This record gives sequence, structure tokens and C-alpha cells, in this order.
Amino acid sequence: MTDCGCDKAKAELEEYLHDELQATDAEDIAEHIKNCTSCDSEHHVGVVLTQAVQRACKETAPEVLRDQVLARIREMQSH
Amino acid sequence: MSTPTEDPHTVGAADPEAAGADPVDPEAAAAEKRALFESQAIPFMDQLYGAALRMTRNPADAADLVQETFVKAFAAFAQYQQGTNLKAWLYRILTNTFINTYRKKQRDPYQGTIDDLEDWQIGGAESVTQGRSTRSAEAEAIDHLPDSAVKDALQSIPEDFRLAVYFADVEGFSYQEIADIMKTPVGTVMSRLHRGRRMLRGMLADYAGDRGLSTSAKGQTK
Repeated sequence: MTDCGCDKAKAELEEYLHDELQATDAEDIAEHIKNCTSCDSEHHVGVVLTQAVQRACKETAPEVLRDQVLARIREMQSH
Repeated sequence: MSTPTEDPHTVGAADPEAAGADPVDPEAAAAEKRALFESQAIPFMDQLYGAALRMTRNPADAADLVQETFVKAFAAFAQYQQGTNLKAWLYRILTNTFINTYRKKQRDPYQGTIDDLEDWQIGGAESVTQGRSTRSAEAEAIDHLPDSAVKDALQSIPEDFRLAVYFADVEGFSYQEIADIMKTPVGTVMSRLHRGRRMLRGMLADYAGDRGLSTSAKGQTK
């Protein structure tokens, strides 16, 4: 596990955030973030952005839609 | 009577523990198939509705799209392989249905060329020029934005970017799964995601700045 430096970290932060890196690369980024406030704060913005999108996109389907879908499926089987 | 379940692999073999119905009785087999679909696929309705809202941008079309998706999924449920990723399978049907029916109606004039635009044409956050303290203020501001502001920003970025962001950040799909759902190479997914998030970040910074929520000294370029 080695510190990968800012260039590599900044280039791969988004893949790191989305858990798309190989384990060793991810470890290198994690190590770098621990020691670099600039990359750490950049990573933090990314995390907060993801959380904000997740919060905003929580939806509940209308009850009537559920009923309609179940009714259509039953109907499909009845003829 | 239609008996799509005559093949024993579709229901009887897929879930031997589901109901003690006799698999040779077509009515019982049909009921079993429906019960399986209702217990496995229907629970994804809230998530699919959320995605449909981001796609169609209005509740009536979103409800229609979800209904159409479930109808198609049920009709094709025999082809779904038990044990594989049902959520990704449903999202593929949802996305196909959206593209084939709704997108035609509301296609953005520049859609289709959006992946070819240069970064400077798209704009967005200029994070590289910001210092650490500016970024922690930015994170603080984003964290306190109302959901409506985040939704509005999402709605206003190009559709392909918006969907990539939604699939990755809300649904947690891998880049490869998104590539399969959107029928595009993984490299394109990465680019859409990167650009979508960049635009989103820029818009949210603008929103926060306009309302004095941001303590950023440096204004965002529009």
C-alpha cells in the first residue's frame, strides 16, 4: 500500500467513490486521502453530492399505481 | 386459455417451494407464476417509479411507464433466469420502454450529440481551482440544499447524463450494469457520469451561491 499522489487520486476519485477500482488501487487512494487534505475535501464533496442525490430521489409509487399493475397482471392471465 | 407455463422450467422448477400446487394443472401453475412475480418483482415498484420520474419528468407519464414496464416484465418473466439480477433486468425493460415510447416525444434537440460535446461547452464545477476550505464550504452547502433544488438540477442536465447519475448514485449499479442497461460502452458511462456529476455540482453551487448558502468567496462561472 503506497500513497499514489494527488494526480492519480484526483483522476480516480470518482471511480473510487463508485467502488469501481481494483482493491490495490483503492487502497492507494484511501492511503493518499488520509494524508492529503486537498484530495480528502474533494472526495468529501463527491460523497455529499451522492448522498444529496439519493435523498432527493427517494420516491413512493402511488397506491393506485400498485393496484393498477396488480389488476393488469391478473387480467393478462385470465384470457 | 393461455398457458405460458407449460414448460416446467418456468415455474415449477424455478421455485419448488412456492405453493403446493400441482405443476401440471395450468391454472395452478399460472397462479404460482403470478405469486412469484408479485413477491419478487413488485417490491421494486417504488424504485422503478423514482427512476421513471427522473426519466419522464412528470408523475402521469412516470406511472404509465412503470405500468408498461411491469406488464412487459410479466409477459417475459418466463425468460428471466432465477438467481440472476432481477433489479437490473427490470431496469433494462424500463429503460428500453422509455427510450422507445417516451423519449421520442420529448427528445432534446441536441440529444445524440451530447457525448461529443467538449467539457468547456458543458460547463460545471471548476473544482481544480478551488482550495480546501472552499470545498468544505461547498460540501456543507450541498448537504443543506433542499431536495427540490437537487431534483431541479437533475432535471435540467441532459437525459443521458441524468440517467447515468441516477443509476450509479441512487441505484448503486456498477458501471458494467449501467452499460448493459443503457446499451453503451463502459467508457461512455464513465464520461456521462463524470460530466453529469460535474454539471450537477456546478448548478448546486450556483443555487447555493444565489441564496447565500455558500460561503465560497469565489463565484461560480455560469
